[in-house]
Amino acid sequence: MEARPAVEEALARAVPEGTPAGPALARAMSEAVLSPGKRLRPLVALAAGAMARAPQRAVMPVAVAVELVHAASLVLDDLPSMDNARRRRGRPALHVTHGVSTAELASVALLSRAFETLAFAPEVPAGGRARLVSELSRAVGAEGCCGGQAADLSADPARLTLEELESIHARKTGALFVAAVRGGAIAGGASDSDLDLLTVFARNLGLAFQITDDLLDLEGSPEVMGKDTLRDGHRANFATLFGAEAARRLVDELLEAAVSALSSFRSRAAVLADLARVVRDRRS
Amino acid sequence: MTGGDPLDLEEARRKLRDLGYLDGRVERYVFSRVFEGRRGVLVPVAIALAAACAVGCVAAVLSAEPEFLRSGSGPLVLLVHLSLAFFFPAALAAAAGAAIADRSRSAGPGAAACGLLAASAVFLLWIGGAWGLGRALRGSALLWGFPVAIAALGAARSARAAYLARAYAHSGALPRARRHGALFGIAAAALVVAAAVFASRPEDVASPPLHVAPRHERVVVVAIDGIAGAAAGAIGDPALARVLEGAPAGWWRQEPAAPPEVWTTAATGVDSVRHGVRALERVRPAGSPAALRAPFGSRWYLRLVGPALSLVSSAPVSAADRRALTFWEVAASAGLPSGAIGWWASGPWPGAVVVDNRQVLSLARTGEEADAIALERWPALRGAAIAALYLPGPDILRRDRARRAAEIERIGRFLSDEIRAARAGEIALVVLTADTHAPAGSLARATVFDGRSSALVRIQAADVAPSVLARAGIPAAEDLRGHAVPALFREGSLEKATVATYGSRIAPAAGSSVTTDREYLRRLKALGYLN
Repeated sequence: MEARPAVEEALARAVPEGTPAGPALARAMSEAVLSPGKRLRPLVALAAGAMARAPQRAVMPVAVAVELVHAASLVLDDLPSMDNARRRRGRPALHVTHGVSTAELASVALLSRAFETLAFAPEVPAGGRARLVSELSRAVGAEGCCGGQAADLSADPARLTLEELESIHARKTGALFVAAVRGGAIAGGASDSDLDLLTVFARNLGLAFQITDDLLDLEGSPEVMGKDTLRDGHRANFATLFGAEAARRLVDELLEAAVSALSSFRSRAAVLADLARVVRDRRS
Repeated sequence: MTGGDPLDLEEARRKLRDLGYLDGRVERYVFSRVFEGRRGVLVPVAIALAAACAVGCVAAVLSAEPEFLRSGSGPLVLLVHLSLAFFFPAALAAAAGAAIADRSRSAGPGAAACGLLAASAVFLLWIGGAWGLGRALRGSALLWGFPVAIAALGAARSARAAYLARAYAHSGALPRARRHGALFGIAAAALVVAAAVFASRPEDVASPPLHVAPRHERVVVVAIDGIAGAAAGAIGDPALARVLEGAPAGWWRQEPAAPPEVWTTAATGVDSVRHGVRALERVRPAGSPAALRAPFGSRWYLRLVGPALSLVSSAPVSAADRRALTFWEVAASAGLPSGAIGWWASGPWPGAVVVDNRQVLSLARTGEEADAIALERWPALRGAAIAALYLPGPDILRRDRARRAAEIERIGRFLSDEIRAARAGEIALVVLTADTHAPAGSLARATVFDGRSSALVRIQAADVAPSVLARAGIPAAEDLRGHAVPALFREGSLEKATVATYGSRIAPAAGSSVTTDREYLRRLKALGYLN
């Protein structure tokens, strides 16, 4: 089965509307996850698993888990107490349609579902499942998205250095890319040295993705982006730090570095390399 | 700072690299883990390099002396010995490379150079070793290039990765491009060089049939070691000069060399590169069932360090080392009864009566005894069409002038009898005199009693064998280094026909034990050899 439809199908199974949690929360969870998205992280996880010669069904729990975490993070990110964004993926943000309380609960429930999905991954050995949970925990917690968001909220844009900005986005964005890539490879039984290479790939990819995001925020239209643009104007971002032209050059160079880290995998990493190009060419 | 102008692109790149981005070229080899901070890579590199060098040396031995492979565990034992021996120089090389890497600002070229040096060393040991062993190299010897190439590439990649690790630990920089192509390039180049080098050595060929026109006279060759010429063509020892002068002679300048090399060159008509006999001893690593000649790059261990540590013993040179046929072996193969007494690196041969050097010297305690034992065996060759006798007495007695003079008197009396037979037309007598122990070289001489009036010509040692064979009616081989010298023999007595080759000496290595080898070498030392 093709990866993208398979991911959509697996996500739909992961958040069924008839959940005992109640129709409102279930609907909120479903909307948060199933609204149109690029699904880049699950696709990257599947590609990393394929690189490790794992069947798609073995890696799918990882793909679903990282997308659930991503969806949860977007819900939290849009909250009035955070970015206070009104639109997401071309639709009103979840807290706008369901209220802040339901959005917060949906986010927590999605995170729980993500870890549950990994814990019960049927085709991964017990040791591998524990390792997957550990990888995702790190990506979500203080060393990952939560830590990055906290640093972002407390940062003074006028005084932010490149190192500080990188530290924020390596946690907010990069950590989940790293978890997706490493998780997919771990589910496929990849060696430590392969994981090292894939980590290099994922870090460079994650930063390139973030800089592209910043460029799109600066230059893109809300209609194409499907979300509010220029809302990061009050924050430092890479596009303003480097200038748009230099930022584009750096995106290319980061993606080149990411792809070259895959060179020893040869054709096995072709899909991962293609996904890196998707990051470069994305318009939303 | 975000409040000011945008960051300069170069500055942004530098900062991102410092943060671990923009560098996707990660070394994947076994030392990739050292990039995480460990710097202790010297021992693994030294092990890899030592093992690869040992593979190069063992392959050199097997390329040049394939019969060593038939010794069972011999190659494996040699590999272990040399791997251990090479560890120390390899560790020194690794330490030197690490010191350079620690100061490196540009890891790529240094690492590539390090890898190329490691690979080159391994290939050099193989090609140089095979060449230095001085034997014909079969085309199949090239097959050893593949394990050597694998070992060389392994050593090169180890050295390269270690260099990168050290340089990375110091500078945090990795090369922008991989240079594996260069390593494969040098491997391919080395195989091409090996093919060219090996092709320059003729392959062993079996002895072709010879058409002989037998002569009436037997040919007798008497070699006397330890007699130097006083001037061009003159005999240095007065007593012997009285016996030998007045006959045609050829003389040559003999450079310092071990006695087996000199006398084997005279007996085979080819130089030591082709006949393969160069030293008095071979080496036997502890545990090896067979002895071998130390290949290039390993002599420091097999000849010096190993014996000092009792890890390597010596074995005497023998006919097993020789790849060219002696004149008595050619004659025997051609159907003429022949033989030799006491000659260096001689051994059993079908159709020939051979009492080898070991059978004589291992029974002798003095120079007089050595000559006496040889002369006692001499009557066994009475009916031989070609008979050769080697007398080492004057050489062994060189430090005792009185005994040496007495021994030369005795040899003179023996020669007088042979000369009488030559003058009577019963034999053609060739007397060879040379001083193989003269440190600055000496003048050597071949005096011929064959009914020809006095003549003095410049010849070379390798002319002896083809001259003797041609005098016995056997066509001279065109691939010999030496040529028959008509000026020394009775006119018209030398066979004029030639053949392309006599072939190579292809015979199984004679077995010997460590104990008997040690006893024989002790006896040689007592007689003044090996000092």
